[in-house]
Amino acid sequence: MAEAAEATGVTWVASGAAGAASEAGSGGSAGALPAVEGITAAIHRGAVEALAADEPTWLRDRRLEAWSVYERTPMPTTRLEEWRYTDLRRKLKLDRLKLLPWQSRKFEASRAPVALVAAMAADEAASGHVIEIDGAVAQVDLLDELRSKGVILGSLRGSVRAYPDLLEPLLATEAVPATLGKFQALNAALWTDGTFLFVPSGVRLDLPVRVSRWFAQPGRAVFSRTLIVAEAGSQVSFVDEALSSDFAEQTFVSSAVEVFARDGAQIQYVSLQRMGWGAFHLSQQRTIAQRDATLDTLNVSLGGSVSRVDLSAELRGPGANSDMLGVYFGERDQHFDHNTRQDHIAPNAKSDLLYKGALDGKSRGVFRGIIKVHKGAQRTDAYQTNRNLLLSKHARAESLPRLEIEADDVRCSHGATVGQLEEEHVFYLMSRGLTRPQAERLVVTGFLEEVLSRLPLGGVVEKVTGIIEERLRG
Amino acid sequence: MPVNQGVQDIGIDQNKYHFITQDEPVFRSGRGLNENVVREISAQKNEPEWMLALRLKALKVYNSKPMPTWGGDLAKLNDVLDQIYFYVRPQEKMERSWDDVPTNIKETFERLGIPEAERKILAGVGAQYESEMIYHSLKEEWDKKGVIFDSIEDGLKNHPELFREYFGTVIPAADNKFSAMNSAVWSGGSFVYIPKGIELDTPLQAYFRVNQEQMGQFERTLIIADEGSKAHYIEGCTAPVYSTDSFHSGVIEIIVRPGAHFRYTTIQNWSNNMYNLVTQRALVHENATMEWLDGNLGSKLTMKYPSCYLVGEGAHGSILSIAYAGDGQHQDTGGKVIHAAPNTTSQILSKSISKGTGRATYRGLLKVHEGSVNARSNVVCDALLINETSRTDTYPYIEIEENQSNVGHEASVSKIGDEQLFYLMSRGMSKEEAMAMIVRGFIEPIAKLLPLEYAVELNRLIEFEMEGSVG
Repeated sequence: MAEAAEATGVTWVASGAAGAASEAGSGGSAGALPAVEGITAAIHRGAVEALAADEPTWLRDRRLEAWSVYERTPMPTTRLEEWRYTDLRRKLKLDRLKLLPWQSRKFEASRAPVALVAAMAADEAASGHVIEIDGAVAQVDLLDELRSKGVILGSLRGSVRAYPDLLEPLLATEAVPATLGKFQALNAALWTDGTFLFVPSGVRLDLPVRVSRWFAQPGRAVFSRTLIVAEAGSQVSFVDEALSSDFAEQTFVSSAVEVFARDGAQIQYVSLQRMGWGAFHLSQQRTIAQRDATLDTLNVSLGGSVSRVDLSAELRGPGANSDMLGVYFGERDQHFDHNTRQDHIAPNAKSDLLYKGALDGKSRGVFRGIIKVHKGAQRTDAYQTNRNLLLSKHARAESLPRLEIEADDVRCSHGATVGQLEEEHVFYLMSRGLTRPQAERLVVTGFLEEVLSRLPLGGVVEKVTGIIEERLRG
Repeated sequence: MPVNQGVQDIGIDQNKYHFITQDEPVFRSGRGLNENVVREISAQKNEPEWMLALRLKALKVYNSKPMPTWGGDLAKLNDVLDQIYFYVRPQEKMERSWDDVPTNIKETFERLGIPEAERKILAGVGAQYESEMIYHSLKEEWDKKGVIFDSIEDGLKNHPELFREYFGTVIPAADNKFSAMNSAVWSGGSFVYIPKGIELDTPLQAYFRVNQEQMGQFERTLIIADEGSKAHYIEGCTAPVYSTDSFHSGVIEIIVRPGAHFRYTTIQNWSNNMYNLVTQRALVHENATMEWLDGNLGSKLTMKYPSCYLVGEGAHGSILSIAYAGDGQHQDTGGKVIHAAPNTTSQILSKSISKGTGRATYRGLLKVHEGSVNARSNVVCDALLINETSRTDTYPYIEIEENQSNVGHEASVSKIGDEQLFYLMSRGMSKEEAMAMIVRGFIEPIAKLLPLEYAVELNRLIEFEMEGSVG
């Protein structure tokens, strides 16, 4: 059962399943389920075989094995604790989606969408760039000086042939393997491209690596992966921005993100999700921090009609440290679901999570997080905070900060709040001459900036606050 | 007072609670649960047709619901349920005075200290021995005030209209698998009615007791606190230890009408082979207050989440929960508050202690429905871990649909600090005494709300349980 799987730290299924179910009611129904769920005209074994046709055997086998896991795994329903508040049967129309087969693409700035060009313009200062369009990497650049130090930045697809020794042991094996769940399996079977970053021992990158992913085609399912490896004592920051136009038909983007910080390495990973209406963005991330490593993450969720982030941070080595930050801002009928996990396996490690969201219109924010302190992880420090602002009558928030502690010498705490704009703060600003809308905007951005200021990465804070202010102006 | 007096000296005598008296039940149902058992129970109790129909319908619901897969480990529960007797009736008529109680049963109560307690300050005692009230006394003044404190069976017999109006309205049979089971086979429990404007200074007490080996206990309590009334009901449990698993599944329904104030206190100390799966819920109307004070010390597994449904404007709900999980125990407890009206307020305070291989789980729900403007709630959970093998979990569910509301949840987990221990030991205490003192301090915010004799008993139990925790 779940307990046994939990000990390995590689499952999203928590043992404390459907808690308040008897009173809260669970939205799902236990109707009879077909033997194989999620196989459609586009998503089937043949599609996996076509993708794998010219790939090395190890990868082909891995894809097919992932596909068989997908076939075996039932489609998550709201009866499943981790999908309790996101009803996939209503939110995701898999059978209407078409696949976007991989095709070679070239990036031409003159023909690129305005939004993408604007986003990239703010990203000039960087160690390197990756531009991915509809699931295929179209352009990569990296500073020569870093290339000569052995840093690798490339398309994942190309790296399969170029760096098999680095990829084979780490791609969809330890961090986000198919066995984690239905959609992890689907991504491992059907990914078309993505980014591979490798930083050798002791190499430090002063500027971030910036990835811009653009999705243009409606009605598609796109699967992309990111693999980041920072060897001992190295340092890197990575900003992954997902953008798209608005879609008349649902487009589904599945991202798998695998991040490894070896002994003493420092990584900052930022995901900036700014997709358009009609997008369903699913990002499944796992970070593994070894001895004395620092592995900080920031998830900013602003766009998409449905946005789901699964983030699991594993503190695998003693002295490891993870700050986990998140910001979400919802309006209209946007649906955000953040599902986080702090897995303390080694002693003397620290993790600190802060997720804050502001919800307007009829939007809904779900935060579900767990601190898991495994047996033997003594002297763990683990914290978890989720704060929500409800800006309108019809917005709603669900918060489930959870703790599971199996060691006694620990300091763990969590907190969650849901509330409204502090009238006193608004009043104070108005007394200083601001109009009410101005004052409210300022209070909201101030509320969210607390998170951003903890990971002051060049360009990110300005970009995010700019977007939020713009949206608050309506 | 000598400071180095051992903890053992003030520990309680465990044997006091581990005894078995010989008795002969008048009627005992067959093992396991089926329609015949349900019909038999209803016939034995001479119930009206509607109650039999309700029981049979509940049985169908019970059979149709799957065993919960969340909370504690219920994997072995079906084997237990196949073996137990769902109904045992020890005696035929209700006892009104102590002298009429048979000697062997009286001995049981003597050893539990009930008569003394009664002599002291306890006003009404409804003692549940096996499945029914056999001893039930009520102070005369309460009779005069129109307070009803009956066995649930007498409630049905003597106040059929009041009973039928409220029975199963707060917790319908279909609420969950175990409320369905209870609705099918309930037996024993209390029926309480506090008339309008009546305030009771001394608590109503029911002392529950399970004796017959492998006998399930399905007590059912229905309480109506009418407008502007004020009362406190105390239920305490202890049971002899048996080698096979045992089972208890109660349903407690409380209606707190406008302006009333009601407190329900449970100190549960079932023996460590007991499955204790209880549903307790209060419907709280305008400007009324409901307080649950829930102490869970015993049992093998307890799953119990006292709930307040705040349905009237200005209603207030409060849940104070204390759990102690020793070796092999799992306390899966907490509380639920549903805000369904404007200006409602609530608070939940939970304290748990895990020792040895014990596991204490806080599981809670805080829900604010749209339209419950100015709802306010605060939840605080603290967990104390004594040993490396101890485990604690916190699963709070927070669901907010109203923006003009403010809710907060906080939890912390800690072990007994070396500095605290060192300080107390430097004052001449043994490590054991120091630990017991720290634990007492930890639960003090809840213990101080208990009536004196319960607070004393709780402290003694904690001290007793803390014995041998060093090293």
